[in-house]
Amino acid sequence: MAAAADVRDMLDLPAEGSQPRPHKKQKVVEKRPEGITRELFALLGERAPPIAINENKYKGRPKLLNKLRVRPWRMSPFTNGARSDGLVLNHWQRKHESARQPAPEGTQMDVDEPKEEGKEEPKPLEQEYAFAKYNVKAQVPRRYTDDEYNRLLRNNEWTREETDYLMDLVTEYDLRWVIIADRYNYQPKMDSEPEANAVVPAKQVRTMEQMKARYYFVAATMLAIEHPPSEMSEAEFELHEKMLKFDPNRERDRKELAALQLNRTADEVREEAMLLEELKRITSNEQSFITERRELYSRLEVPISVGNTAMYQSSQGLSQLLQTLLQADKSKKRRSILGPDGAVASPAGQTPTQQGPLNGRGETPTATTAATTSNKKGAAAQPQPMVRQLTAAEETRYGVQHHERVTAGVQFRSDRAQKLTQAKSNVQTQKLASALAELEIPVRLFMPTEKVCKEFEKLIQSVNMLLEARKVAEKVESEIRVLEASKAERERKAREAAGETPVKDHENRQVKTETEEGAGVLVPTAEGSAAPENGDGEKQGDGQNATQTPAKDDANHKRSASVLSGVSDKSNKRQRR
Amino acid sequence: MNPSNPPQAAEYGGDEVSAIVLDPGYSTTRAGFAGEDAPKSLIPTYYGKYNADGQEKLVFGDDIFTPRPGLSIHNPVGKDGIVEDWDMAEKVWEYSFTSRLTGSKPGNPFQNGLNDFSNDELPQEMEVETDEKPLSDSPLLMSEPGWNPAKAREKTIEIAMEKWNTPAFYLARNGVLASFAAGKASALVIDIGASNISITPVHDGMILKRGVQHSPLGGDYISSQIRALFKKNSPQPITITPHYLISSKTAVEAGQPPQANYKTFAADKAPDASYRALLEERTLSEFKECVVQVWPGPGKLSAPGPTGVPNEEAARNYPGRPFEFPDGYNQSFSVDRFRVVESLFDAKAAIPDPDSPVPAPTQAQTLPEIIKASLGGVDVDIRPHLLSNVVVTGASSLLYGFTERLNAELMALFPGPRVRISAPGNTAERRFGSWIGGSILASLGTFHQMWISKKEYEEHGPSIVEKRCK
Repeated sequence: MAAAADVRDMLDLPAEGSQPRPHKKQKVVEKRPEGITRELFALLGERAPPIAINENKYKGRPKLLNKLRVRPWRMSPFTNGARSDGLVLNHWQRKHESARQPAPEGTQMDVDEPKEEGKEEPKPLEQEYAFAKYNVKAQVPRRYTDDEYNRLLRNNEWTREETDYLMDLVTEYDLRWVIIADRYNYQPKMDSEPEANAVVPAKQVRTMEQMKARYYFVAATMLAIEHPPSEMSEAEFELHEKMLKFDPNRERDRKELAALQLNRTADEVREEAMLLEELKRITSNEQSFITERRELYSRLEVPISVGNTAMYQSSQGLSQLLQTLLQADKSKKRRSILGPDGAVASPAGQTPTQQGPLNGRGETPTATTAATTSNKKGAAAQPQPMVRQLTAAEETRYGVQHHERVTAGVQFRSDRAQKLTQAKSNVQTQKLASALAELEIPVRLFMPTEKVCKEFEKLIQSVNMLLEARKVAEKVESEIRVLEASKAERERKAREAAGETPVKDHENRQVKTETEEGAGVLVPTAEGSAAPENGDGEKQGDGQNATQTPAKDDANHKRSASVLSGVSDKSNKRQRR
Repeated sequence: MNPSNPPQAAEYGGDEVSAIVLDPGYSTTRAGFAGEDAPKSLIPTYYGKYNADGQEKLVFGDDIFTPRPGLSIHNPVGKDGIVEDWDMAEKVWEYSFTSRLTGSKPGNPFQNGLNDFSNDELPQEMEVETDEKPLSDSPLLMSEPGWNPAKAREKTIEIAMEKWNTPAFYLARNGVLASFAAGKASALVIDIGASNISITPVHDGMILKRGVQHSPLGGDYISSQIRALFKKNSPQPITITPHYLISSKTAVEAGQPPQANYKTFAADKAPDASYRALLEERTLSEFKECVVQVWPGPGKLSAPGPTGVPNEEAARNYPGRPFEFPDGYNQSFSVDRFRVVESLFDAKAAIPDPDSPVPAPTQAQTLPEIIKASLGGVDVDIRPHLLSNVVVTGASSLLYGFTERLNAELMALFPGPRVRISAPGNTAERRFGSWIGGSILASLGTFHQMWISKKEYEEHGPSIVEKRCK
């Protein structure tokens, strides 16, 4: 290590000691703090200990306040407006500026003091005591008169005196029922009858409900006297209703329940807490369940990819797929598709598995796959040492079902039900839907259990049958109508041929419809006579005839078409004949 | 805040009228000016009586602790907290405020140093009133236990109005005041005093009389239990020798017999036995402060604990607490320090002592039982509210672990509703709970309409106290 001198040499600095350190010294000499004498400061030496020398001097009031005059306070008497006895108490109060006399001089002040006080005394007394406004009382109804009591308020259980006592208490304790019930101690007056004393009347214990019922009855009655219910304001009416509807028995029952609730044992409380916890868990689970299910649905709606699966045919390609799937699974942070033992637990139907295409189907248990796929398809492939026979009741209880033929892959029961609502034609589907809507059954089932689906199937079948039946009924009805129309037409023609006026025709038709079958029997004969005429009646130039021809071949195929006129039908029949 | 501006009265609702708050108890009497946070004057309610020069003399305050020949100690208040000796109660109470607060008599204004007079003028109008009564310019707020009979209340107002000449008077229940001190208008006040423990349900600032319960298992009862424990102490029975009988002592090993020089008093000079009992009580309260501990629960001390280990065994594993008596004897107290208070919660755990004047407690007197009885006496609708506003006050509630145990007991009694105990950690606030509440109440602007004025008293007589102080 080089010495300081060497460094100085190297840096071309002058030798040590030649230069004093000026600034340090200056700092020490710098300044003598105020309030310390020069002599004392000299004694402290150069390096005074870092003691803060501050003077404990009275700082005085802030400058701003110095300009203001000191405002005196004085012990002044006051009365309270909330008191009736005019009690005078003393408190400190700022002396009022306005009441201040021109400052008395010097010695006079002491002598003046009592006089000044006497003068000022009425001044504070005049002003309202600040806290008097908090003196509020609860509003209680006007006290009844004797007449009103006798007319409206008589009661077998309550004497007039006791009612008075109750009303007094209510006023005194401002409707605090807890306290009123606590202090209630009515002693019926003994009217100086010694024999009454001999038979000590059982002291009646009034419950709070009884008191409330009595008071509310009295208050409601008084309110109704003041303002008849028709003239009451809304608030008043509400109050009146409320008071009239008070039911002491219900209130008592409520309190009994409240007491039961309060005096539950620790076990009950624990159970309740547990149930509440459970409820909370269920509701929160429900939410996640709903979102999961929605996700599942949306996934189902994704079209099945039709990409090339050739690359997954080899075992190498499959393991690669598994790796990518696991990767995606991990990054998604969702429930792992890996089972707890690390093996692939239960791949979905169309997901290729590590086993390869040979034994990919778990339902076909061959000798070789039975062991290897034991953990693959859940309970189905599980080699069970002992198969328990379930009774029919147990099967329904556990929801075990036997399928005759199981189709490959996964499918939803609800989808099957869904398919039923899709008929071949659009019209039919709509009709089905409207039938379901009428029955208030949603198209997509809420809870597609096995039973529900079966019932739904039945329902759809019967709806289909019903629709079929309706269709047939409509068809038959329309045929009847057509036949009737043609019959009328034929008769008209027959009458025209007979030369009847069209005015009468109308009446005749009415009559005709009422006539018996015999008239109908006549018709074919009339028709038969009319037919040849019609056959060559082209010259008549009827509008009817023009439309007749295209409709003819149509009617051969579509028998139910209601648009067919009577004429076309007639020709149809003629053809058949 | 500008120091020249007063706080707005509406901000804190206060209006000081220099009222005096007097909170008399069985063991101590507290007095002070309203608006302060602790009583200025704290004196024992006990007074001493002795003969000097053929005259009977009375001593009050801390003077009673000085040994005097033939000094006997008395208490004007009965064991149940109700005044028995009214003449002496008046004197003790008067002493409590005249000694520190008002002065017994206004001094001569010429000599009391408060007035400067120039020599030439001597105002003649300032005369010394000779017949001045002690409280003529301070309203007085007094407290009383919730079970104070009407006669005692009337007597109290009579003294205040006629003997002390107070311009206004009010008598408040100490349970209500304690709940005010905790800032609550409705509360279940549990007051653990010297002679009594009491439960006071307070609703909207008024007590519910049917729910007021008290039992004698207070601090004095605990003292009697400690005495019973000392009698049965294992290395040797412990006798308490108060300080005034010890002139010097030398340190001894734990459990060794004391080596001390005792003071002896000649038979005619010795104070009365009651004096010794009073001073022994002081040692015992020191013992209570230093050693005694309440088993914190859950479960009684005698019950098996949650892990199967009996609670008593668990308590034994707590480190013992040493205590040195005035004569130098010292010993460490292990599970015994839990036992002496256990009977507050479990009457069966009381240490039997056939010689003790204090009767063995019944189960109905224990704290959980009287709380239950108290809540049984109030409307069911407010019970949960009361349980969530439990106020603990009284000096004996400062026993180590008391509030924890109380909480555990309440939770076991009422597992359903929420139990919330409000117990100030500050020692003074716990000891003077009801005085502080009185101090708050008497300095409220809205309270000044509630005073019973002298005029009203003269009009209606003492019975007005029943009407006004509800």
